[in-house]
Amino acid sequence: MTLDAIDKKEALRYLGCRENIDNERMISLLDECEKRLISAAAPKYLYEVFPITFEQGGVRIADSNILLTGNDAAEHLKNCSRIVLMCATLGQGVDVLLRQLQVTDMASAVTTDSLASAAVEQVCNKAESEIFEKVKCNSRTWRFSPGYGDLPLDIQYSLLSILNAQKRIGLTVNDSNMMVPTKSVTAFIGLSDGEVERKSRGCESCIMKDKCKFRKSGGHCGN
Amino acid sequence: MEIKELLAERGLLIFDGAMGTQLQAKGLKTGETPELLNLTDKDLLKEIHRSYIDAGADIISANTFGANAYKLSHSGKSVDEVITAGIKNCKEAIEESGKPVFCALDIGPIGQLLEPTGSLKFEQAYEYFKEQVIAGSNAGADLVLFETMTDLYELKAAILAAKENCSLPIICSMTFEENGRTFTGCPVLSEILLCEGLGVSAVGVNCSLGPKELMPTITELCEKSNIPVIVMPNAGLPDPATGGYSIGAEEFSGYAVKIAELGAAIIGGCCGTTPEFIHRTADKVKGRKYNHRKADRVCTLCSGTKTVAVDRPRIIGERINPTGKKLFKQALINDDIDYILGQAIEQVNAGADILDVNVGLPDIDEKAMMIKAVKSIQGVTGVPLQIDSTIPEVLEAALRVYNGKPIVNSVNGEEESLESVLPLVKKYGAAVVGLTLDKNGIPPKAEQRVAIAERIIKRCEQYGIPKEDILIDCLTLTASAEQLAVNETLKAVREVKERFGVKTVLGVSNISFGLPNRELLNHIFLAMALENGLDLPIINPNVAAMTGTVRAFNLLKAIDINSAEYIAAYGSDTPAAAVKPAASDVTLEYAIDNGLKAEAAKLTEQLLIGNDPMSIINERLIPALDKTGTLFETGKIFLPQLILSAGVAQSCFDVIKAHLAKNNSETVSKGKIVLATVKGDVHDIGKNIVKVLLENYGYTVIDLGKDVEYQAVVDAAKKHNVKLVGLSALMTTTLKSMEETIKLIRESGLDCKVVVGGAVLTPEYAEKIGADFYAKDAKETVDIAKQVIG
Repeated sequence: MTLDAIDKKEALRYLGCRENIDNERMISLLDECEKRLISAAAPKYLYEVFPITFEQGGVRIADSNILLTGNDAAEHLKNCSRIVLMCATLGQGVDVLLRQLQVTDMASAVTTDSLASAAVEQVCNKAESEIFEKVKCNSRTWRFSPGYGDLPLDIQYSLLSILNAQKRIGLTVNDSNMMVPTKSVTAFIGLSDGEVERKSRGCESCIMKDKCKFRKSGGHCGN
Repeated sequence: MEIKELLAERGLLIFDGAMGTQLQAKGLKTGETPELLNLTDKDLLKEIHRSYIDAGADIISANTFGANAYKLSHSGKSVDEVITAGIKNCKEAIEESGKPVFCALDIGPIGQLLEPTGSLKFEQAYEYFKEQVIAGSNAGADLVLFETMTDLYELKAAILAAKENCSLPIICSMTFEENGRTFTGCPVLSEILLCEGLGVSAVGVNCSLGPKELMPTITELCEKSNIPVIVMPNAGLPDPATGGYSIGAEEFSGYAVKIAELGAAIIGGCCGTTPEFIHRTADKVKGRKYNHRKADRVCTLCSGTKTVAVDRPRIIGERINPTGKKLFKQALINDDIDYILGQAIEQVNAGADILDVNVGLPDIDEKAMMIKAVKSIQGVTGVPLQIDSTIPEVLEAALRVYNGKPIVNSVNGEEESLESVLPLVKKYGAAVVGLTLDKNGIPPKAEQRVAIAERIIKRCEQYGIPKEDILIDCLTLTASAEQLAVNETLKAVREVKERFGVKTVLGVSNISFGLPNRELLNHIFLAMALENGLDLPIINPNVAAMTGTVRAFNLLKAIDINSAEYIAAYGSDTPAAAVKPAASDVTLEYAIDNGLKAEAAKLTEQLLIGNDPMSIINERLIPALDKTGTLFETGKIFLPQLILSAGVAQSCFDVIKAHLAKNNSETVSKGKIVLATVKGDVHDIGKNIVKVLLENYGYTVIDLGKDVEYQAVVDAAKKHNVKLVGLSALMTTTLKSMEETIKLIRESGLDCKVVVGGAVLTPEYAEKIGADFYAKDAKETVDIAKQVIG
């Protein structure tokens, strides 16, 4: 997978800028950082579809020993019978670039860091659209990640293990459940043959996706 | 058993195929640890081993791939138990078959990424592998196989662990993508150089791709390796929707024939392959006569991501060396690793191919600093390093933690030096610089230096160091003191090169010591030395004339074909506009507000004429910074702009610091502050922003980096006698480390305040874990520092 352009608006949002920026220096800084980031990144993702079952205490993935504990994952996956488990990373090259920049040019480092956060979300979006060309379902949820709600982060290791993520895309977690390379995401999407709850559905499945004025301004309609 | 002998006796060897694929086919559940089956389903394992033996494998691997202490930590079983059982199953299957088959202790990656990107320390990785190797060796394995490796650094830890804890042959295999690199960016040649250097028996590739896609990688391995090559491809490419693989046994074995023709010594299979694949492969290629070709190689150095062949003049950057550099010495005393990293990156950007690393200074722990410097530098650049120390213990420490094949600088003609350094060079597979001096000093005449060179080369050969890895330094003497010696040095360079066919190295800058216009002498001498056969000039690459001399030489000698590199370096040059004096309406304040670095530095230089440095800081820089700080706090400007301004102020500080160092004055520090991103946390950008701002306000920051041990924070606070310690943590999971660090600071009875910050922290939580201050951002940390230190 390749990235052609990075969502700078999103990166600016991470930097705390809510309005458009007209500062020329800032704009050229963003452009420069984007170029370097794109050449350092080696975006990769992988996924697998698993059946799920609901039980006391959470949602079990297939017949494995992995339980998505707590109420929030279960609530999110209500009416779903399967999940797409996915992970994505920009690769170690981005970590090297960020280390270099932190020594030589902090302003670029901070800007590139935000661009990279935006980029890994873009990789996930792109992955999601590729995945759903192959995986068919009637209705699906938005991406839910460990650390959201009451789903603990320490599930990361198991999720990456069943995807064989280290071997296949070089993605691991450390003892503090932080993903390494750092610009990476683990998530699951619930699949339903019926209808998932409105609040779990997210923008990707909405018919207003391309026209929505909330979405255009970076927001959400609340459904 | 030795692989080379076995190849001579049996010809091309067959390895087994996939274990995981077989276990899944027999009902291994998702998420289960396959190695535990060694204890619970012995018969199943033996059956799989037996099927590969019957298929014709000469070597089969035990089911021990992930049997390390990290992956087994939740299983309730020990590494020793699981590996012993795995080897036993394997050996029983062999014994029952009655065939002369060998058993490999199979070891894969640990499952965590190593420093600097990950938080697993090199030394810890070594311990994990050591435990596996000892268990496997005691259980009777015939060889050790490290496979599916993607990080050269992890592989190095693994090989050292095997070499130092058992006497079994070692086979190494990494996983390459279609671009010929692993996920961590390791090229095939780096794998070969490391493995050859460390005395591995066979080197190769497995997994990730099918035989068809791996052909370019296999070709490169067979062409460039001086040791036998092992190849274990997948059964083609996987289909994510079905989990199946794209090619069958017959097609696979057809590729095996091609792989054998390329010169591979050992062929097996990886994911998706079955006994049928191995059976058909064995039918076609097993026992073919194996002729090893020796690769023709010039000295080649490497890191985990880059190789540098000395097939043309290569620049060794000399700047990482405290000799005669005040700021560098200060940086070493303050553990300011970022200063060293800045020097590294600057030289690489200027054109250095290799970096010399010397951190020798009385009063500092050179070994600890060398380890830290090597680890940190290889985290920010892929340029190979030249490890420079006079102390063998320091050299060895650096050789261990270096990721790749470095140069050792240096050994000399004295027997004591040869005896202490050459065994290290051999053990760690490095190249070595031999200085043509001995106990009588530097001989005046060229022929005397050539004689010493000969002695060094002979001793290297006795230690088994390949001739291509010997680099001779004929030594530059200062022209002002020894004018006639200049020609002797050049003569010696030519003679050594012609007579022994080894590469030569010279420290160039020494030539002009004590004379005016040093740059002129340096680059003319460099040109003369290059013409006399110098391969590795040690120079300051930041001086345009020096790097330019090498580029021009390469062009004029038709080394730089079609002048491509020369044009790439200078082609876009517009005649350098003379640095404009700062326009009168550009003030220091304006420059800081608008991110004008060069102008601000220039203005500072002008201000230093006739102004007290402290008054420039207090009356000009800090008020300007305060103003941007306020704009940031009120949301008028954003973080990158704040940091841009900070960067400008930094360049002003650098000018002031250099000015003070030149005039032997005291530094301008307002006091020291220790900063650390806590143990377990690898995100340290927040901490680094705080650092920049604190330095801007004149504080000296002792930056301990990320993932810092509790005790290291206490030790640094004590050593530097600081009044303020700043701790950063990004995630809820690492807040615990923050709490523990504070606890230890308090228990140690240190008289210092603690300020904490980080995305998930709150003032309440900060108070709860015993911090004195909570800072919501970098600006607030500065306010707190002012309050605590003044």
